[in-house]
Amino acid sequence: MDTFLALEIIALALTGLLIWHSASTRGAAFTWMFFLGGAFLGVIRENVIAQVAALNLYSYNPATFHLWAGAAPLILMVFWSYTIYLALTFSEVIAGGDLIGGKRSVWIILLSMVFMASYACLNEAFASIYTMVLWKFKPALTIWGGTPAMVLWGYGGMALIFLPVLLVVYKLRVRTVYRVMIFCASAVVMIPLHLLWIAVFRLATSAIS
Amino acid sequence: MDSRDKRPNFFIREIPFIVLLVFWVIYAGIEIIRSRFDLLTSIIPTGLFIVAWVVRRLMYKEGKGKG
Repeated sequence: MDTFLALEIIALALTGLLIWHSASTRGAAFTWMFFLGGAFLGVIRENVIAQVAALNLYSYNPATFHLWAGAAPLILMVFWSYTIYLALTFSEVIAGGDLIGGKRSVWIILLSMVFMASYACLNEAFASIYTMVLWKFKPALTIWGGTPAMVLWGYGGMALIFLPVLLVVYKLRVRTVYRVMIFCASAVVMIPLHLLWIAVFRLATSAIS
Repeated sequence: MDSRDKRPNFFIREIPFIVLLVFWVIYAGIEIIRSRFDLLTSIIPTGLFIVAWVVRRLMYKEGKGKG
């Protein structure tokens, strides 16, 4: 079996473990919202980025990925969910807080941003080995493997946007099914916000080049 | 009963730690196998979170022991 296909399958299986953890420790409503909303966000966002040339960001290498959801690899259905879930859980344990319970929520979100940037170092350096992403622009600043430094900012920004929106929707006094639907639909707000967040970094660093 | 009302067992509680550790070992392993030693420092930031998790768990255990 191809090594990268094995990695895609392992990532899907490990996400299954995280879903089990979430359902056992946070309840069904949170789990549906988090992972279904994350899947919507991932598939829509990555398809938009891969398809809309005007954004001038990146596309996915068809020679690397095996399983697809439109123009985005299928793994992106779970990628943002599992990274943000790891960020949230690690931050809660380390800070001794509870996002939904309102205990040290700000610290948890800030620490989640740091976690996401750390994960970007790990993942994007790895991505350069398999040429997972085809960058469409020449970055002013780079990290490992020639990856734009923008990814650290981008990953952190995803936690900054995703977690507060999740918190607000979770607290709505409506039935679970409506909260899940509202959170999934909020992807259309989160995606432009995140693209704006990235544009700020690109604009700020364009002066360097 | 809500699933949050009962404390999950040790394995379930530590799933996020196990998942990150597995990813970390796979990424580091592939970088070493492919002789990409220039990329190895990229795993340090995430490694610090893994260490912080263990330290926090040990602190919690000690605190509980002292009662």
